Amino acid sequence: MQELVKILLIEDDKQVAEFVCEGLEAQGYAVDVAHDGEKGRQRAIDKHYDLLIVDRMLPGCDGLAIVESVRANANRVPVLFLSALGDVDDRVKGLKAGGDDYLVKPFAMEELLARIEVLLRRKDALPTTRLKVGELELDLLTQKVTRQGKNLNLQPREFRLLEYLMKHAGQVVTRTMLLENVWEYHFDPQTNVIDVHVSRLRQKIDKDFDKPLLSTIRGAGYMLNAS
Amino acid sequence: MLRNRIFGTYTFRFMISYVTALSVVVFILLGITYTFYSYEYFTGVNDQLENELDILQHEYREQGLTGMETLTAERRKKSKFDRFSYILVDGQQQKLSGDLSHWPEYKEWSDGWLSFEMSFSDWQGQPQLYNFLARSRLLEDGNQLLVARVSDDVRQNIKLVVGTMTWGLIIMIILGLIGAIITSYMTFSRVETINTAIRTIMSGDLSERIPIEEPIDDFQHLARNINNMLERIENSMNDVRQVADNIAHDLRTPLTRLRNKLSTLETRSAPHNRDMVLDMLGEADHLLSTFSALLRIAQVESGAKKANFQRLSLTQIFTDVVELYEPVASVKDIELTVGHCDDVAIRGDKDLLFQMLVNLMDNAIKYTPDGGRIRVSLEEEGDNIYILFADSGPGIPPDKYAKVFQRFYRVESSRSEHPGNGLGLSLVQAVATLHGGAVSLSSSQQIFVGNETSGLQVCITINQA
Repeated sequence: MQELVKILLIEDDKQVAEFVCEGLEAQGYAVDVAHDGEKGRQRAIDKHYDLLIVDRMLPGCDGLAIVESVRANANRVPVLFLSALGDVDDRVKGLKAGGDDYLVKPFAMEELLARIEVLLRRKDALPTTRLKVGELELDLLTQKVTRQGKNLNLQPREFRLLEYLMKHAGQVVTRTMLLENVWEYHFDPQTNVIDVHVSRLRQKIDKDFDKPLLSTIRGAGYMLNAS
Repeated sequence: MLRNRIFGTYTFRFMISYVTALSVVVFILLGITYTFYSYEYFTGVNDQLENELDILQHEYREQGLTGMETLTAERRKKSKFDRFSYILVDGQQQKLSGDLSHWPEYKEWSDGWLSFEMSFSDWQGQPQLYNFLARSRLLEDGNQLLVARVSDDVRQNIKLVVGTMTWGLIIMIILGLIGAIITSYMTFSRVETINTAIRTIMSGDLSERIPIEEPIDDFQHLARNINNMLERIENSMNDVRQVADNIAHDLRTPLTRLRNKLSTLETRSAPHNRDMVLDMLGEADHLLSTFSALLRIAQVESGAKKANFQRLSLTQIFTDVVELYEPVASVKDIELTVGHCDDVAIRGDKDLLFQMLVNLMDNAIKYTPDGGRIRVSLEEEGDNIYILFADSGPGIPPDKYAKVFQRFYRVESSRSEHPGNGLGLSLVQAVATLHGGAVSLSSSQQIFVGNETSGLQVCITINQA
């Protein structure tokens, strides 16, 4: 049996903690909750976890300090910040302190789950110049994409979109994740811009083939089927 | 630049007026002195000449021509400026006697004054041109007597006085100018210290204070008062920020919980209830996004984001937005064209600028009917950057231009047709203002030839100076 993934949640708001806890447990994760910063830090240092979810504004201390002291112990556990502070410099501070991702409150459960999934898998990702997902192949050096050996003609942005989806094949990728990683802007799209880009990409990679690879996950985002 | 600014200062202008007024007063005083002096002088000369004429007339009457000649020969031994010259002519102006060679061609002034120039041998026997002042008198026998006095000493006096006055004035004006420049520079540099501090503060860093140095003079008092004022502004700003943060925390968090519970409910509800729960989820999301937008506008308007400004390529952001929306436009069959796209770099906040352009593009696409046109451009002209978004949509009546920037204002006709929270343009304006820009609206009729309805053109002008 696969070992249970253990997650430590450091969050002072009991209701948010409960909601996150419920959502994570429904996905089969084992969740530990710490309601204050000092306890959270002790546990993060003493025990082994696969992932830390840390709130920024905790009574008595900033989540940043917790992550900094965890990192000071040469602990490479993935860290996801959860915060109402969503400015660029807040994000940068979070990432500098050793966070791996930064999710701004309020957030949807689907968004959190998608990001957790990405963080947990990232550990074993190796740097590569060729990506292969099922019939799809993408060469980062020649910028060529093929499916069943047939050349697909992609625009630069579509190429980056596909690259991101392929790197996270089998995982749900949210619209916000695409905006942050493919377009590299943090903003609030008021219309379905991303959907239009994705459906364009889908046209190119799925149209002439029987099996659709790129599927829409309702209420969450998209997923490139692993195989 | 600095020179112009010094010359423009209040102190400089004050000093200049002061020096001018002082010069005028000195000039008038000197003028009065001079008038008195010359009046005294001319009265003196007049008395002397009249006296001389009296003596000679008397001598001539008593002793005849020879008597007068003896007397004049005596009197001629005096120095050049004290002595008088004489000439006696008959009715035909033929010389009868005197040391002047002939009857002079004189200019006649008021009050019987005569003046002329005449060559005269000096003590070395060299002929020299002298200026004379003279008076003449008709004698009883029809002969005419003229007594003249060399007036070069007077002229020299006049020259001396006028010269002194002119030089005095010039020196005074020069000294005044130098003084004006020095004092202006001194006050200017002190005011400038305060101004620089205020500019830094205005550009976002409210914690900055004007340095205060000993001794405490009027400028330091001013600086101290400004600092006190800043203290109060900063406090109230912090209060406002605190309130905003509290709202963020106190209202957004329960809203999020509500949304999260709805989301849990959605997964558990029976199929016939699901649509309703999804509707509620949609409402909650809309509320949350409105809330975020409001908070973001407030934050942008507070100017706090200026602290994170970086030099960035506006062109990159602009083309990214165009590229992001190009597929959306083509889905609606809208012809999206890019006019100018100059290479422009500014200091700013990347995400905010992107959001600003996204809002504009979003509006343009939202309001342009299928098959319509949108034209965007980015131009740099001198210190100004122009970002233009023109669409062939229904446009906005000009009397509503000012209103659309108000929070939650939506043009009546668009309420039902298009989704939105009425905050898009408020944020556009806030972001533009934060970057030293302004937003103006106009009709896009000239842009699209042959377009019956006049669409909307949004122009953002950013001044980099």
